[in-house]
Amino acid sequence: MKKRGKGVGSMWYGIGNTGLPNPAAAFVEVLGDGTANLMFGAADIGQGSGTAMAQLAAEALGITYEKVRVTWGDTRVTPDGGATSASRQTLITGNAVLKACEQAKGTLADVAAAYLGCQPEELDFSNNMVTKDGDATVTMTYHTLMAEMKTAGKMAVGAGYYNPTTTTLDPEDMSGIPYEVYSYATTICEVEVDTETGEVDVLKVVSAHDVGQTINQSMVEGQIEGGVVMGQGFVLMEEIEVSDKDGSIKNPIFSKYIIPSNLDVPEIYPILVESEGGPGPFGAKGVGEPALIPIIPAIVAAIEDALDVRFTKLPIFPKDIVAAVKEKETDADNGVLN
Amino acid sequence: MAKEYSVIGKSKVKVDGLEKVLGTTKFASDYSLPDMLYGRVFRSTVPHATVKKLYLEKARALDGVEAVLDYHDIPGKNRFGIIIKDEPCLVDDKIRRYGDALAVVAAKSPEILEEALALIEVDYDEIEPIFTFERALEADAPIIHGTTNIHQVKHLECGNVDEAFKKCDIIIENVYSTHRLSHMFIEPDAGIAYYDDDGLMTVVASTQNPHYDRNEVASLLGLPYNQVRVIQAATGGAFGGKLDISVQCHCALLTYHTRKPVKMVRSRSESTMVSAKRHPMTIEAKTGATRDGMLMAMEVKICSDTGAYASYGPAVITRAMVHCTGPYSIPNVRADATFVYTNNPMSGAFRGFGVPQVAVCHEGQMNALARKIGMDPVEIRIRNAHQIGSKLTTGQILENSVGFIETLEKAREKAAEVLS
Repeated sequence: MKKRGKGVGSMWYGIGNTGLPNPAAAFVEVLGDGTANLMFGAADIGQGSGTAMAQLAAEALGITYEKVRVTWGDTRVTPDGGATSASRQTLITGNAVLKACEQAKGTLADVAAAYLGCQPEELDFSNNMVTKDGDATVTMTYHTLMAEMKTAGKMAVGAGYYNPTTTTLDPEDMSGIPYEVYSYATTICEVEVDTETGEVDVLKVVSAHDVGQTINQSMVEGQIEGGVVMGQGFVLMEEIEVSDKDGSIKNPIFSKYIIPSNLDVPEIYPILVESEGGPGPFGAKGVGEPALIPIIPAIVAAIEDALDVRFTKLPIFPKDIVAAVKEKETDADNGVLN
Repeated sequence: MAKEYSVIGKSKVKVDGLEKVLGTTKFASDYSLPDMLYGRVFRSTVPHATVKKLYLEKARALDGVEAVLDYHDIPGKNRFGIIIKDEPCLVDDKIRRYGDALAVVAAKSPEILEEALALIEVDYDEIEPIFTFERALEADAPIIHGTTNIHQVKHLECGNVDEAFKKCDIIIENVYSTHRLSHMFIEPDAGIAYYDDDGLMTVVASTQNPHYDRNEVASLLGLPYNQVRVIQAATGGAFGGKLDISVQCHCALLTYHTRKPVKMVRSRSESTMVSAKRHPMTIEAKTGATRDGMLMAMEVKICSDTGAYASYGPAVITRAMVHCTGPYSIPNVRADATFVYTNNPMSGAFRGFGVPQVAVCHEGQMNALARKIGMDPVEIRIRNAHQIGSKLTTGQILENSVGFIETLEKAREKAAEVLS
């Protein structure tokens, strides 16, 4: 028999290392033609930190995205970015990028203000133009600005680093400030369970994430979708088996360690929630790890809802479903009320 | 949102997207240099032992083999680790897990390399291996590192838990267990080491932390940090599995001795066998609430096996503890965690650092509580949700950017629309 169920799972996630300093740095130079070189340590592992940093620099400098060239993860060229872990690079390297850009922009603003006859703080930098706030007629192109910079013998360079505000946790009771900011998420999913084969089909998933501020919408949605699928594997398909004879891993290859394929991907509805006032760049937080977490308890809860059986042990493989269904039937036959 | 940005929030094409789509992206295993050698590690096939004798002569004598190295050939420090430096580049004192590195070989071709590895033999003096949490803590168990098998113990406490439980209408108690998992990043660990034109030791590798790698390579070779250059190659997934040192130090050591470029590409099997795994956890939880669903107290006990080396174990235990309540305000909380060393595969960083494990527990408890009192699972979460001004178990007050309730409401709204 096929039975359907729904489940809810929520999570929170502190961004950055727990109660420890974990700074990251960035360098920037705006070149004579209004393009920019941006350098930072943060390793992009496919999640898109390189793209996010280019977007942050473009926004901060007021140039278009395509004008920013990024270089990352080369210890002879880029400053230390720390580990790409703890969902920390958008917050930490992101703020370092903004600080570097602010420094470069300080020099640019002085030169632009002198040219336009206004104060540096009155200037708006966007779309390769510098304009006086509230007066669109007082304006110059970045191209002109860089020519003025050349004449003045000035350079638009910046270096910045950022370390999130945390405290060491008390060794007695762990009190203190473990993280500067937290991401939150809630996932609701629907599953269909085959009580005979024990197969669980995840049908639809809604996953709402408080990301602070979206930097790149399709990348965040991609993170959330990827996390959902990895979470399906976590609950329903994957388990490392260790030999109790020699401690070796019995299933170290894909033919024996089964992960979800494209055929397993459910309908996924990512929802981006933006919350104000966070310390990150434009308020952004991290989503890399949050993307995975809430789907895990949500699937467990949906199976419980479908079968009216509790599961406290993961993974939940088809044999576990079949065993649980059988046990419930036996209990019912014996007159045990669940 | 009302903010107007030109670039932020927009779905810009990834800076490295085109090359990935065209298939021209160069991953570490795609690198090739003149006179390049192929490197591989000779590994232990027992989990706990001292090495009586390692027979390297036959491999060294094979034509086309340029280096066969053991720990005697390390010029600097033979220990690495992101937090606790307890993992050897090549085993010196003893083997602590199946797959520990005993020797490294560089040869002119992959075929010669394979032949050379088959010529290496080893005599072990085996020690009783520890494969369970319980055995690790027994008084007569052999010690894996230092003076105790306890890797770390943590205690978190706020409020008065025992008093609070007495006042609760409902108490939910469960024991949860989560399993060991592998990242299964698509690209197995790989890297190439060489001396660049300026004589700088250079390592191009698939990694999540090139600056950490640089420091470890420098420490291994006894070089100043600025005499080593680590470049992150395009990395084909990681999920925490490429935060530890993989091939970087072995490659660099072979290049140091041969002066030639050395490339190492792990097989899938080798990669899975020796990279860190997700910490399996047993979590006992007791949650107390009023009959209208307000959380009053929680008690949590976490036990985990960090395997043969510390890796990111200290980060996982701390993060799991801080997050064990879930995103809810609970005024009285007591949590304890114990991580032990065993001779199992190393546990370490894996997307979430212990939070997916504790989420199975705190959400299991919330769902059980909702059922018990007949309350909607979203509603009970909203009632207890963190919001601006909430005080965490660590004493921290949340001052800004807390969108949890909105995630609950938005998810509920969308679920009502799209779920059956």
